[in-house]
Formats: sequence, C-alpha cells, structure tokens
Amino acid sequence: MLRGVLRALDLGKTYRAPSGDVVALADFEHTFSEGAITAVVGPSGSGKSTLLNLLAGFDVPTTGGVWLDDLAVHQRSEAERASVRLRRFGFVFQSFNLVTVLTARQNVELPLGLAGAGPGERRRRADDLLRRFGLGQRADHLPHRLSGGERQRVALARALANDPDVVFADEPTGSLDSVTGREVVAALHNVAAEGRTVVLVTHDEALSSIADVRLRLSDGRLAATDHVPARRAAGGGREATRDDAEDLAPAAGPR
Amino acid sequence: MVPSLATAALLRRPLRTFLTALGIAIAVGSTVVFLSLGEGLRQAFSQELSGVGPDLQVSFGDLQTGSFAEIPELPIEYADILLADAERYGIVDLVPVLLHVRSGLSPGSAIVFQGLPAGADVASIYVDFTIAEGRQLTTEDEGAMVAVLGPQTAERLALGVGGTLRLNPRASFEVVGIGSSAGGLLDNSVLVPISSLQAAIGVEDRVSFFVIEIVEASKANEVAAAIMADHPDLGVQTRAELLEVIERGLAISDVVRLGISAIALIVGAIAVANTMLMSVFERTREFGVVRAVGARPRFLFGLVLLESVVLSLIGAAVGVALGFFGAWIVNLVSLDLIALEVAAVTPRLVAFAVAVAAGMGLLAGLLPAGRAARVPIAVALARE
Repeated sequence: MLRGVLRALDLGKTYRAPSGDVVALADFEHTFSEGAITAVVGPSGSGKSTLLNLLAGFDVPTTGGVWLDDLAVHQRSEAERASVRLRRFGFVFQSFNLVTVLTARQNVELPLGLAGAGPGERRRRADDLLRRFGLGQRADHLPHRLSGGERQRVALARALANDPDVVFADEPTGSLDSVTGREVVAALHNVAAEGRTVVLVTHDEALSSIADVRLRLSDGRLAATDHVPARRAAGGGREATRDDAEDLAPAAGPR
Repeated sequence: MVPSLATAALLRRPLRTFLTALGIAIAVGSTVVFLSLGEGLRQAFSQELSGVGPDLQVSFGDLQTGSFAEIPELPIEYADILLADAERYGIVDLVPVLLHVRSGLSPGSAIVFQGLPAGADVASIYVDFTIAEGRQLTTEDEGAMVAVLGPQTAERLALGVGGTLRLNPRASFEVVGIGSSAGGLLDNSVLVPISSLQAAIGVEDRVSFFVIEIVEASKANEVAAAIMADHPDLGVQTRAELLEVIERGLAISDVVRLGISAIALIVGAIAVANTMLMSVFERTREFGVVRAVGARPRFLFGLVLLESVVLSLIGAAVGVALGFFGAWIVNLVSLDLIALEVAAVTPRLVAFAVAVAAGMGLLAGLLPAGRAARVPIAVALARE
C-alpha cells in the first residue's frame, strides 16, 4: 500500500535566548522509510524533541524543511499543518496525553470529529479501533480509570483514527512496565506492517533495537544512521550496519 | 465532544464556576430590576393614555407647568370659547379636569383628587373604568361633597362606601362609589365633582386642563395647531405628543439606569474573563494535546468562547430569576407607598438581559479564547 513519504532536508532549529542563540538541531537530513520503524535515539538534549516537533509540524524550522510527499509542511500555515496532523499523522506519547475529561471512546472520536465524521461513523470507527486493541469493554471509562497499558492502547487507537500515513511515538513505553511495553512494541510493528511510517523517539537503547532504522542524534546533529535489515527474519540475532551520517548522499528534495 | 469538553471545563472547578455565574447573576439581576422600573412605568402610562384616552389635552401654557401645576391656571371660560368653535375644530366633547394633590407626610399618604363634571363619561378619558361598589357620580352630584374612589386608594385608606374622606379642614367628601381596578393611575385617584373640588380649594374659575375628543382622531395635529393659532395662551398636546413626552422621559431614565447597570455588567464580564483565563491556563496541556492531534487554532478559540458564553448564560438565567424576585419586592414596597406597581419584567426586558449576557460572555471570552488558540503545542505538551 502506497503511503506518504516523510522527508527532512537541511532541517535546523535555532532558539533565540538572552545568553545567545541555542542551536537545538542543525543539518538534519533523512527520508523516512515507509512500512518501517525508524528510531531516533540520543541522550537528553541531543535534539530528539526538537526534531519530533519539527517533523510533526508542532513548530517551524529556522532552516530547511519537512516534506510529506511533495507537500512542504513547514511552509504551511498553522491551520494547514493542523490539517496534515489530523489526516496524515498519528501520535503516541510517553505520558499518553489522553484528554482527561473525555472517555476512551471520546478520545478516539476526537480526531474523527475534528475531521468532520458524523456521530454514527465516529462511534463505529472508534469502537472498531478500541476492540482491535482489546479495549471493547473499557470504551466508556475515563482515562484515570484505566491502567497505563490501557491508556497507551487508547492513545494508539486515537493515533490510528484517521488512518494516518505517519505515526510518531515519543517514548511510548517510558511509563509502562516491561510486559505492557512489549504489547505496545508489538502494536507498533503492526502499525508499520500496514505500510505506515513509524517514527519512534527514545533514549532507550533497548527499545530502539526494535527499529528497522536507527538515527543517532548528538548535540543537535545526526551522528549516525544504523540499518537493521534482517530484523524480522532473524528475530533476536540481528546485526546492525552503520553508515556515517556524513557519507549519506543528500536526498534530492523537491525544493 | 465539544459539549463534553465544555461541560468538563466548567465542572472542573465547580466552586469557581458557581461564584462566577453568581457574579453574572447578580449583575444581570440588578440590571433586570433597574430596567423593570422603566417598564412598569411605561405600562402604567400606556394603559392610561394609549387606549381611549383624550385626543387632545389643552392646558394654559406648556404641558409641564400647565397640567400638573399646584394651582390650576386654565380659566374655565376657555371651555365656552373653544366650544363656540366646536364645529370648526371638530370638537365632539370637551371635559374640564381639575387635579389636586392632598400631600401627606410620605408619598404613600398623598391622594390625587380629580375633579370632573359629575355627569361626564369617565370612560371617554379613562379606559375601562367601571363601578365595582356603590354608584357612579351623576349630574345631581355637582356641588355635593361626594367622591368615587379608585380601588387602590380605597384599600389604602381603608374606606368603603359611606366613609368620609377629608381634603382639608374645611372640606370632606362622602364616599358613594368605588371603581373596579382598571390598572394605571385612575386606580389611585379620587374622582369628585369638579365644582365641589373648585369650591373646596377655592379656585372657582380655573381648572388644570381640558381633555378634548375630536371627530377625526387622525386630524389631532391640525386641530391642535388651529387652536394654538387662535389662542396663543393655550398649550395643546395631542395624545401622541403626550406619549412622546412620557416616552422621552422614560428613555432618559432608561439610559441612566442602564448606565448604572453597565457597571455591574462590566464587573461581571471581568469576572468571566478572569475565570476563563485561569481555566485556559490550567488546561494548557489539554489544549496542546487537542492541537497535536489536529485541531485548528480556531477550534480552541470557538471552544473557549462557547464556554464563556454558556457560563454567562447560566448566570443570566439565574439573574433573570433574581430580577423577577427583585421586581416583586420593589412592587411590594411601591404598592405600599404609592399604590402603584412600578416594576414590570416584560418579555422584551428578559430578552434584552439574556442578549446582553450573551454579548458579555462573547466579549469576555475573546482574550482567553485568543490565548487558547495560540498555545504553542510543543511547550504545552512538555508541561506537567
């Protein structure tokens, strides 16, 4: 299934501060693979969050840009970026970020409603997704009545509500125990298997090992790109190939 | 979803929402009470004047000093002078009226005496006046010290048929009849034969004003102009002009009362704005999430504006109820003091109050809604 291709070119973000400019991200270039999980790893302050904010259109870059197919996301207005997020992106966060005053079903219905779906369609789709994640019986519960694993599955259901091309997962297992964490990982594999691009942001090396591609950030720059080609076939015995970032040929972007 | 989000926002801090709504309720309630005073007076006057009232009212000089002067100024001989030209003017009927107020220590004890020719058709001047008890005045009563009381005057003075009403040390009237309630000023008057009242207060040849009925009510302006041209000493007002004078006075008092109410409404609006700003601040993260999953800025703008308007309308609903209660209290007091219901909460007043509250909510919500729409997603999501 052909999905949108997410591409970053010469991406950079510099914050102005009284003590001088702070370069949070510079010269980031990558084309994210469809149907694969790409992990962005690095310690705190390496620029992971800034990269996520720019890719997702939460923020606009100071240099370069983000393209979804040939749509220059960074050049779009606030409202147009919202529309891209609504229809083509999905989000899963470490702290779940469910709307606390809405039930599980209403949380899943939120993006459907924003996209203009009618009440009947909204409910049907939300219930389908909740059942897919084993939450059929929990649809009417508010988030605080759900366990961490259940909340993250609601978040996954919400992320998939409008059938997005790209799913961003920001430390999705950070607040979960290892068992529920594995459930979420399995779910992300399924999401990728449906042809979607999954961008997994984490500082957790173990979690990053589930990815097909690993981007290592250091001091706001892409330090290394690791490919894990045999992940699915080889199971545990995977072998990483490493290219130095400098060796990557610049992707030809639709400038 | 929008209703869920808005409801949850208002219920998030129930006490704060309650207190804010209470502030609006008091502002709207006081506005309703203030403005109901004008509505009540308007109703009283329109009952009095808009129906089968006089087509023309003739006074000596202009309206303000002429008809309500303490000492009647209009020489009675003008009645004959005008009636001599009755055909030319198109006068059907001319009734002289003498007003005299027996003042008391408080406004509540004042009594308005209206001297009319004893046989005159009172219904041509006042709408729906009928006798409930005793009898109407007849031509034989002219010069006799007899009186017909308006129902509220009778009740206030605790007088029945056969009772005695004192005007001054030299003159007292025997009550021969009590009118039924027609609403308005007549309920609070005492009708007596005009010659008896003239004798009692010692102004044999003067009256307060004439009321005139003409053949074609639509020609009132022409007739008034003709009379004034012939008799420059006289002031002639048409019914429309009378209503206009009263309406203008009420409109001025409306503006004054609205001005006072505006202060309360502005304070209410500031309370709403403050509450909504705090609410937006507390929900920064929630707004960040909603924006992250794809809501446009204007979705949050609309949501917060809706909450603000709903909060104001809840306050307005309670405020209107408070207004009804307040107007009822005002009438309780005014009935006791001047035997007149001065406050009336009319449908248009309720509609006005609700519209003002909605507008207030909209205005007060603009700043918080703007804040909500501009929440930076990345910052909001990072907030704990």
